[in-house]
Amino acid sequence: MIRPHGVLLVFRKDWLEIRRNRAVLFPLILVPLIFAVMLPIVAVTPTLPFQTQVSSQGLLPILKPFPDQVKEEVASMSGQQAIVYFMLLYLFAPVFLMIPIMASSIIASDSFAGEKERKTIEGLLATPLSDSEMLLGKMLVSFLLALITTTASFALYSAVTDYLTIGMFGGKMLFPNELWLTLIFLLAPSLAFADIGLTVLVSARVKGVKEAQQISALFLIPLIATVLGQTSGSMAFDRPLVDLMISVIAVSDIIIFMTAVKTFGRNQILTRLS
Amino acid sequence: MQAVSARQLQRKFGPYTAVDDLTFDVEEGEVFGLLGPNGAGKTTTIRLLSCLISPTAGSAAVCGFEITEEPGKIREMVGVQTENPCLYERLTTFENLDFFAQAFGISNLEDKRQRIRELLEFFNLWDDRDKKVDHLSKGMKQKLALARALVHKPKLLLLDEPTANLDPESAAEVRTMISQLSEREGRTVLLSTHHLEDAEKLCDRVMIVNRGVRVTEGTPQELLESVGDPVVEVTLRNRSTMIANSLRGNAGVKAVALADHQKLVITLDNPDSTTPDLVAAIVRDGGEILSVKPLTPSLEDAYLQLLGRNPV
Repeated sequence: MIRPHGVLLVFRKDWLEIRRNRAVLFPLILVPLIFAVMLPIVAVTPTLPFQTQVSSQGLLPILKPFPDQVKEEVASMSGQQAIVYFMLLYLFAPVFLMIPIMASSIIASDSFAGEKERKTIEGLLATPLSDSEMLLGKMLVSFLLALITTTASFALYSAVTDYLTIGMFGGKMLFPNELWLTLIFLLAPSLAFADIGLTVLVSARVKGVKEAQQISALFLIPLIATVLGQTSGSMAFDRPLVDLMISVIAVSDIIIFMTAVKTFGRNQILTRLS
Repeated sequence: MQAVSARQLQRKFGPYTAVDDLTFDVEEGEVFGLLGPNGAGKTTTIRLLSCLISPTAGSAAVCGFEITEEPGKIREMVGVQTENPCLYERLTTFENLDFFAQAFGISNLEDKRQRIRELLEFFNLWDDRDKKVDHLSKGMKQKLALARALVHKPKLLLLDEPTANLDPESAAEVRTMISQLSEREGRTVLLSTHHLEDAEKLCDRVMIVNRGVRVTEGTPQELLESVGDPVVEVTLRNRSTMIANSLRGNAGVKAVALADHQKLVITLDNPDSTTPDLVAAIVRDGGEILSVKPLTPSLEDAYLQLLGRNPV
């Protein structure tokens, strides 16, 4: 039986602990801040040769897999506009998705594995809170913090991008746009939930936080592949791909959550600790 | 009624058997000690009884419920103080108790506050209620861990090494508090320890375990008596060899040994009835007695001897 009171109790306790844990808060604030500020600056600062030399026509081979509407838009731009547009809207999109993964991984890996490291787990397991209440309470903290971090980073990324590019695009603001809103409010939460589910499950089975964090590396592989795929012109991080990812990850979320609830048990946690 | 009734309890971790065929009962209201060296299976037994892990074989009823069938009900009735204090170091003393009070189902705000205050005052921690646990001393953390175990007024208190890693002063304080709790609230306490002082000062009955196996069980007095006959040490002014020889045939005297020529170490059947006759015989034989001292074996002697007799 899952009592909302039990879930919220674990959630509140973990929330309070995380708020006072600088080792968790520091990377949680700093890394997204760097992403949100540095990526737009890198895109609009012409430091690499291709940023100054490539024309919008020269970019078309890379945009081959993209929809015609995107190609037409880019074709009407100057070389620098096209590069900035491509980088900020498409190339950095999968890079930005690393934020929810990183945030959820930091917090979720600290859940059971952190309690084991700090030797507090036995006290928690000795309470009448059910396994599912503990699992959900801990997942909820990670999920909420991952969402807050991602949304705040997106808001900052949009603001910095618009500030830096509004003159270049003749008063037109690049953000927010439909693709990124879908990315931030649908894809990022699904991805974070899957990562949290797996990390918490692993976190209950390993002895330390570092081992638990390694699971998140698995989620980075497809994102890195997407970045490489886009730069080679073999794939597009566009709406159809985002929709496909949302569908696949949503199904994975359900499977991971069901598996987590079914297989998570306090007996296993302490047995592995003994 | 029995607070704990364990039957052939066994727990294996892979090829290693931590607890093997353990059968014992703990009566309601008593303080029962699990005494044994490190690796004896004490912590595993406590974890089994508090439903933190399940047994490989055997059964145990705690507060009338089977550990494998109704672990949730047992957790509600049992207070566990684990080997580590298991406290959240970034939360304050009060916040820790507040969390555990709610986790154990104390939802009424006033009841909860009152219980926390009562416990913190009893353990002299009320003035430190807003301090983060990180800033407390080891002794204070141990007291707070005890308070946490008691927050929901459990029927049975399971204490795993309650005085471990404490300085003698803090250990004595914790020991006094456990004793007061047992007397004042009449709670059943099962504690594990390798400190003989804990067993001697706190426990009504003790079970000695070694490598997961029961060695013996009884009151601390019974354990003392089980390790040998009573001994009396008589110190004489003069040489004692001749007197020792003449005592050897006396009724009630089982053995006489000489220690540094002036001391006789005499093993008796019953010191209460035999000692006066013994003293009279020594005086009759010309012995000038300086002192007569009954030598009581300590629980440590008994413990070491019992463990030595049963090297598993």
